[in-house]
Amino acid sequence: MLAYVIRRLLHTILVVFVISLIIFFSVRLTGDPVSVMFSAGEPSKEAIAELRSNLGLDKPLAIQYGIFLKGLLTLDFGESFRSGMPVGTLIFERLWATIALALGGIFVAILIAFPVGILSAVKRGTGVDFFGRIFSLIGISFPNFWLGIMLILVFSVQLQWLPSSGFESIKHLILPSITLGMILSGILARLVRSSMLEVLNQQYISTAKSKGISEWSVIIKHGFRNALLPTVTFLGMQFGSLLGGTVIVEQVFSWPGIGRLIIDAINQRDYPVIQGGVIFLAIIMVVVNLLVDLSYSLIDPRIKAGRGSQ
Amino acid sequence: MVSKIMEVKNLQVGINHDNRDVAIVNGISFHLNKGETLGIVGESGCGKSMTSLSLMGLLPPGVRWQDGDIQVDKLQFKNFKNKDWRKVRGKKISMIFQEPMSSLNPVYTVGDQIMEMVLNHENVSKKLARVRALEMLHLVGIPRPNQVLDEYPHQLSGGMRQRIMIAIALSCNPEILIADEPTTALDVTIQAQILELMKKIQNQLHMSIVLITHDLGVVAEMCDRVVVMYAGEIVEVAQIVNLFDSPKHPYTQGLLKSLPDINVQKEYLSSIPGVVPAPGNMPIGCRFAPRCPMAHERCKEAPPLLTTSDGSEVQCWLYDDGAEKEEIR
Ligand SMILES: Nc1ncnc2c1ncn2[C@@H]1O[C@H](COP(=O)(O)OP(=O)(O)OP(=O)(O)O)[C@@H](O)[C@H]1O
Ligand SMILES: [Mg+2]
Repeated sequence: MLAYVIRRLLHTILVVFVISLIIFFSVRLTGDPVSVMFSAGEPSKEAIAELRSNLGLDKPLAIQYGIFLKGLLTLDFGESFRSGMPVGTLIFERLWATIALALGGIFVAILIAFPVGILSAVKRGTGVDFFGRIFSLIGISFPNFWLGIMLILVFSVQLQWLPSSGFESIKHLILPSITLGMILSGILARLVRSSMLEVLNQQYISTAKSKGISEWSVIIKHGFRNALLPTVTFLGMQFGSLLGGTVIVEQVFSWPGIGRLIIDAINQRDYPVIQGGVIFLAIIMVVVNLLVDLSYSLIDPRIKAGRGSQ
Repeated sequence: MVSKIMEVKNLQVGINHDNRDVAIVNGISFHLNKGETLGIVGESGCGKSMTSLSLMGLLPPGVRWQDGDIQVDKLQFKNFKNKDWRKVRGKKISMIFQEPMSSLNPVYTVGDQIMEMVLNHENVSKKLARVRALEMLHLVGIPRPNQVLDEYPHQLSGGMRQRIMIAIALSCNPEILIADEPTTALDVTIQAQILELMKKIQNQLHMSIVLITHDLGVVAEMCDRVVVMYAGEIVEVAQIVNLFDSPKHPYTQGLLKSLPDINVQKEYLSSIPGVVPAPGNMPIGCRFAPRCPMAHERCKEAPPLLTTSDGSEVQCWLYDDGAEKEEIR
């Protein structure tokens, strides 16, 4: 178990290293940051050169990368070209908002998709199943910005129940979470349905029924518990990608998250923030994946961490 | 004096196809005596499993109870609601299945799975249920039962798992055990051990067993009486001695003839030419006639179940020629 975790950590380091290479060089394809940093007039050659050397952009690429890498080792992502703030601080300021939104979305998705998926599977082929599947389809094919805007129109503008932008309280979390959760629940409900169908066909479900326990015990305790594995995998992966991939929802709700931080940084060619933000998200992704893998052995005793789960 | 513990009367189960009832089990009647082992034999697809699942109210989705009744003690299963069935399952009638490898839930310990049954039917504490589970493991001959109680199914061999299944099935002391091919998936030595165990426990607990198999060797070993099924019907019911010494129905004779040795039963089924007809596509008259070497003109009409002089019941016109043979249906 410990050996496995260590191996996975080494794995993580390798992944982060490769990503650092890719992000470092690809960021430099977005254009010269200096050219967008002077607001008025044509800057003098000297001014440009001075700014370059201040930002460290005059050094050879290999040296620049070396500095970046060295910073990574000490978890120092450098300072923003724009604000001069440490990138680490910028990220952590927004981390909470991002995580809150991702968790909120997943929470809403679970709340909707578990019952819908389970019912669909149990009542397979009936009207319930039909509505469940239509629901999934709508969830999957809905553009999420549209849903977000509709929610704002109804609940913020018309009814004035909930705030529509920013993140100052739990109330602010509700609409964006629903927006995110609805989209996610479409896919999740499908997944739950199909893994439930597979599990409900197993012989041990007949065994459970033959014990005379209640139908819901059979479905939840014996069925759903076994259908959980693919679901947790999916949610773990989703959590990772939600951290960076909620940009549209963040835009609609003016959400102070990391996704928007990176988008803004790209527009401003703020290299350290882009690099730091992407690397940070990558690390979180890998860590979440590791946690998901470790959780397998809790869910399914047949899987020993480090064996069979790779 | 033998007394009946279960009586199946004119049981018909089937599917609904194009708004038409198609019987899979076509109006069968038989009974089970207290303390006996009743075998149900027949080729694959004859409806043995459907029959046994009806006894538990566990028919698969789409398959319905169409007619007839099953009576156990004073209970009549015909009008059973789900909650009535729940009181019967595991308490009065238990069942073990063919695939010990997949019959146990992989995510719960052996102990949990036995205790679940006990806690469901009896008003006992968890602690007591655990004690019962341990006793059951002793009873079914599990080595180091204390550890196994906290182990998961995947840590055990197929034979061990089938023993666990038996432990679960018997943990609430049911009167009837239905075993649907309990040893088919196991290798020969393990098979013999499991059968031995079932016999031993049957004597200890005085229960009745319905043993479904297509292995006549197992039948010879275990059963007191045998029901022979063909294409969803019962073609012969006989005491074990009569079944082997003087099989009546040409189908039974065919099954026996193709049994090369009591210990080797591979592929004996293939030696009756032809295959079992599918439900909904049954021949008119005697269902076995198209494959029967003795078929004659009369077989175009469905034969009744007749009683022969040695007490066997057989559904075949060949036995409708003497005064001592009385029509019972
Ligand atoms: N879920 C189902 N829906 C419709 N028909 C079914 C279903 N399950 C089985 N059948 C049909 O019912 C008939 C009897 O099946 P059953 O499983 O009772 O046979 P069996 O005698 O137990 O055979 P085996 O020895 O292979 O277990 C077969 O023709 C089968 O095709
Ligand atoms: Mg069967």
